[in-house]
Amino acid sequence: MARKNSPEADFDRRLLLALGAGGVVFATLVGRLSQLQFFEAEHYRKLADENHIRLVLAPPQRGQILDRFGRPLASQRQAGRVSVVPERLDDPEATLLQLSKFIDLPESRIKRVLEEIQTNRMRRASFVPVTVVQELSYEEFARLRVRAVEMDGVDVQMASTRSYPRGRDFAHVLGYVARASADDLTRLAEGRSPDELKTFEELFRHPDIRVGRQGMERFAEDWLRGRPGRRRVVTNAHGRPMQELEQDPTNAAVAGKDLFVTIDAELQRVAIERFEGESGAAVLMDVASGDVLAMVSTPAFDPNAFVNGISGKDYAELRDNPMAPLYPRAHGGVYPPGSTFKMVVATAALEAGVVKTSDTVRCGGSYRFGNRTWHCWKKGGHGTMNMHDAIKHSCDVYFYEIARRTGVRKIAEVSHKFGFGETFVLGMTGGRSGLVPDPDWKLKARGEPWFEGETLNFGIGQGQLGVTPLQLALMTARIAATGAPLKPKLIGYGPPSDEDKMLDAPLDPAIMEIQKAGMYGVSSEPGGTAYRSGDLGLGGPRLAGKTGTAQVRRISAEERAKGIRGGAAIARELRDHALFVAYAPTDNPRYAVSVIVEHGEGGSRTAAPVGRDILAAAIRMDSGRTPVYARRADAVTPSTDGKPDGDPV
Amino acid sequence: MSREGYTGFTRGEARTSTARALHFASFGPLGSIARLPWSIILLIVGVGLTGVAMLFSVGWDPVAQAPSPDEANLWRDQITRLGVGFVLMICLALLPLGIWARFAWPAYAVVIVLLVMVDFFGVMGGGAARWLKVGPIILQPSEPAKLAVTMALASYYQRMMPTNGQSPPLLVHGGALLIILVPAALVFKQPNLSTALALAASGAMVIFFAGIAMRWVAAAIGVGLLSVPAIYSFVLEPYQRERVDTLIAGITGEATNGLGESYQIEQAKIAIGAGGFSGRGYLQGIQSQQEYVPEQQTDFILTIIAEEFGFIGAVGLLAVFAFLFVWSFRVAARNKSWFGRLATIGATSTIAFFAIFNSGMVLGLLPVLGMPLPLISYGGTALITVMACFGLILSAHLHQDEKMSSRGLF
Repeated sequence: MARKNSPEADFDRRLLLALGAGGVVFATLVGRLSQLQFFEAEHYRKLADENHIRLVLAPPQRGQILDRFGRPLASQRQAGRVSVVPERLDDPEATLLQLSKFIDLPESRIKRVLEEIQTNRMRRASFVPVTVVQELSYEEFARLRVRAVEMDGVDVQMASTRSYPRGRDFAHVLGYVARASADDLTRLAEGRSPDELKTFEELFRHPDIRVGRQGMERFAEDWLRGRPGRRRVVTNAHGRPMQELEQDPTNAAVAGKDLFVTIDAELQRVAIERFEGESGAAVLMDVASGDVLAMVSTPAFDPNAFVNGISGKDYAELRDNPMAPLYPRAHGGVYPPGSTFKMVVATAALEAGVVKTSDTVRCGGSYRFGNRTWHCWKKGGHGTMNMHDAIKHSCDVYFYEIARRTGVRKIAEVSHKFGFGETFVLGMTGGRSGLVPDPDWKLKARGEPWFEGETLNFGIGQGQLGVTPLQLALMTARIAATGAPLKPKLIGYGPPSDEDKMLDAPLDPAIMEIQKAGMYGVSSEPGGTAYRSGDLGLGGPRLAGKTGTAQVRRISAEERAKGIRGGAAIARELRDHALFVAYAPTDNPRYAVSVIVEHGEGGSRTAAPVGRDILAAAIRMDSGRTPVYARRADAVTPSTDGKPDGDPV
Repeated sequence: MSREGYTGFTRGEARTSTARALHFASFGPLGSIARLPWSIILLIVGVGLTGVAMLFSVGWDPVAQAPSPDEANLWRDQITRLGVGFVLMICLALLPLGIWARFAWPAYAVVIVLLVMVDFFGVMGGGAARWLKVGPIILQPSEPAKLAVTMALASYYQRMMPTNGQSPPLLVHGGALLIILVPAALVFKQPNLSTALALAASGAMVIFFAGIAMRWVAAAIGVGLLSVPAIYSFVLEPYQRERVDTLIAGITGEATNGLGESYQIEQAKIAIGAGGFSGRGYLQGIQSQQEYVPEQQTDFILTIIAEEFGFIGAVGLLAVFAFLFVWSFRVAARNKSWFGRLATIGATSTIAFFAIFNSGMVLGLLPVLGMPLPLISYGGTALITVMACFGLILSAHLHQDEKMSSRGLF
C-alpha cells in the first residue's frame, strides 16, 4: 500500500501548499497596506485635504451710486427670492405647480426652471439651488414664507439685488447691471491673468452677482464690483459644502466702493417733470466747477427691468417704441444746433477780425449768394443789424454774411475750442461726438469739395453740423464763465475719467462778454426772442439765453410761399426741434443749461420755458452747493474704505 | 507520523472520541448546539458586526453630527440580514453531512434550471440579467450556485474516489470540470464575471485538493498565464480592459487622470493612505464620509475601515479573515469523509476568493470587479451566501467523524 501517495496524504501536503500560497497573498496585502498607510501616508493625507477643503467664493457687495448729496441712485436691496433645490424635490413639476398657486409664475418660467433642474442633475450638482423667482413682491414673500415650510426643497430667503430707487430718472446716466453674458466675460477678461479669469468666471456665475452692462454701471464696473472673498469649507465629493471652517480674515470679501455723481437727484426730477412727456434732453452744469447737476433724456426706461433679465417681448417693446426710450439723448443724441450756435460763429468772426461789433448788415429777409437765395426766419427781414441785435433777434442774414466772411475753417476751429466734435465720456456709455464739418472732412467723407454755400448754413447752425445737448451746455458754460477753462465732471467721487480733458482752449474774455451781452438781450431786452422767459420768477435774478430751432427737413419753396412752417399741417416727426441754451444769474453766472424739445417747433415757445424753469429750480434749491463727497474727493487716497485705490479685483 | 491504515490527525482522532462520547451523552440538536465552536462563531458574527458599525459610519452626517436620515437604513438593513444569516448558519451547521450530500445533486439541478431560466426570463438590472422574478420573490440563482456547485463537486468526488488508495484518474477530474463549467458558463453569460470567476476558482481548488496530478496543475497554470493576453484582447469588454490598464498604471506608479475608471481607485487609495498607521478614528473618515469613494458601502467598504482605523485596523481585519480560513482548512483536514473535506475546501475557497480579490482590488492590486468583502459589505444575498458557506464549514466541523458510504448516496 503506497500510503505516501494516497489521496489523503496528498490532501494534507496540498493543504500546506495552499496555506503557503495564502501566506504569500496575506503578506502581499499587508505589504501594500504598509506602503499606502505608512510610507506614503503623508502624501495621501495631503491629497485628502486638497480633496475636501475648498475655498468657496464669497460674493462682494456692489458699491452704491449716490447723488451729490448722498441720495442713493443705485443700491443693493434685500429682496425675497424663491429657489428650489433639485435634490430635495421628488416631483419638480408638481412643486412648481404648487408654487404657482401662491405667486405669479408664468408657464414659460416653469419650463425654464425645469430645464435648469435637469441641467444641474446631469452635472451631478443637484444641491445647487435653481432660482424660480428672483424678486418677490412683499405679499408673495409673506405668503410663501408661511407655505414654503410645508414644501420640501423650496427655499424662500432674502437676497441682495441691485435696485434703482429713482427708476427712469437716471436710466441713461447710470445704465444698468445684468447677469454676465459670455460677451461681458470676454470684455472684462482683457488683460487679466488666467487666475483672475477663473475667479471672474466663478464670481459671475454667482446668483447674486451682476455686471455693469450700460452707462456708469459699466464704466465704473471695477470700482463698484469689490473683491470676492473665499470661505474655507469642507465639501463632499460633489462639491456640496458640508462644514464651515475657521475663516481667514484676509480672505474676506471686500465690498465695492461707493460712487458719487455730481448730479442733484432732486433737480433731475424737477427737470424731467418739466418736459411733461415731451421727448427731449436737458443738461445743466455748474459754470465754475464743471459739475453736471442734471442730465435728462426723456423718455427713458426703467433700469430695474434689466437687473434680473428683461424678457424678449419687453425689450422689443422698448426698442421699437417710436419715442425711442433707449436713446441717450443728452450725451448721445446728435442734433443741428440751429441758432444756439450763433455765439460760436460770432466768436469766430471776431477772432478772425473780419467784423467789428459795430459793423452792420442789412437784413431784408433773404440773402443772395451765387445764384441761390438764403432766407431769414423773419419773412420781412430785421432791417439794419449789428452783432448785439443780430444775436438778440437771431437774424439769419447777419450770420450768413459774417460766416461767409469768416470762412468755414475758422468757424470749425472755434467750434472745436468750445468742445464740439469731441466725445465726452464722463463715466457713461453711448456718448457721441457729433460732427463739425470742414472741407477736409467733406472731401474724405463725400469725395466732394466744400461749397461756400454750405458755410452759410454752418453760420446758422444747420447743414452737416451735429451737436449733443451736453456739448451745448458746455458751450454755454464757457461763455457764462467768460472763457475760463472748464473741466466737465459727472463723477464726483469714483474712478477717474481720463478721457475727458479740461476744456481750456483760450477764449478771449472780451469776446465772451460780447456774447453774454447778446444773450442778455435775447431774454431781457424788448424784442429778444426769449424776452418772455427772461425772468426766473425768483423776484430778481434773470437768465441770459439763446433760442434755436433745428430744421428736421428742408422747407420747400412752396411751403414757404404758403407760410407753412409747422404746426398741425405737418406730421410730428417732421416738425422742427426746439432748442434753448441759457445761464443764470446774469450778473454772476452759476449755472448753464441746454434744452432740446424734440419736434417742439419754436425754441422760444417750448424750449425756453423749460430751460428757465430748470435754471430757476437749480438756483432755488442751490444745487451747486458743496457736495457731501467733497471731503473724500480731496483726500486722494480713500483710506476711509480701508482698501487701496485702483482695481478692486 | 506514520500510522497504520489511515492518514489523518492524531489529535483529531483523540478529539473524535470525546466528541462521540458527548454525542451519545446528549441527545438531539441541543447537544449539537453545545458542541458548536462558539468562539469561531463569535468571530464570524464579530466581523459581521464590524461591517454594521462601518455602515453606520458611512451613514454618519458629519455636519449634523448625527446619522443621516437617508442612510440610516444601511446599518439597520445589514443587522437584520446578519440576524437572518446567523440563524441560517446555525441551522445549516446542525445538518449532518449526509443530509448535505443527499441534497447536493437536487440542489445542483435546481440551480442549473434556475440559471437557464434567468437566461430566458431574467430581469435586467445594471446591464445584466441576474434576477428571476417569481411573483413577489426575487431570486439571484448565481448566489446559491456557489454553494450548490461546491456540494455537487464534493458529492461527486465522494462517489468517484477510488477505494484502492490511489488518486482518481484524470477522467474523473474531467467530469468535475464539467460540473463546474456548466454553471460557470451560464453565470458568465449573464454577464456576472465576478461570480463566474468565484465558481471557477473554488471549483479549481476542489479539483486540486481531490488530488489531480501536480503536472496538470502546472499545465493549467501555464496555459492560464499564456492566455492572459488573449483574454485581455478578446474576452474582456472595453470598460474591463480600461480597468486593467488603470490597475497596471496604478501599480507601476504611472500618473492617471483620476477621472473615469481611475477615479474610484484613486480616491480609494487616498482614503486608505490618509488613514495612516492608526486611522482618523471612528466616524472621522472624511474622505469616505464625504462620498469621495464610490461604492464605499458595498465593494469599497474596506476603504473606510482603513481610513478610520488605519493600518492596524485593516491588517487586523485581514488577520481575522486569515485565521478563519486557516481554521476552516483545519476543519477540512480533520474531516473523515471526502465529501466533508472537499465541501469545506470549496466553501472556504469561495469566501477566501472574495476576501482576497476584494482587498486586492480596493488596494489597487487587482482590477475592479463587483466583489463584495465577505460579511462586511452592504448587501443581503452576498451576506446570506457567505453565512451559508460558514454553515457548511461548521457542519463539517461538527460532523467530522460522520461515516459516509462512497456509493450509497444515489
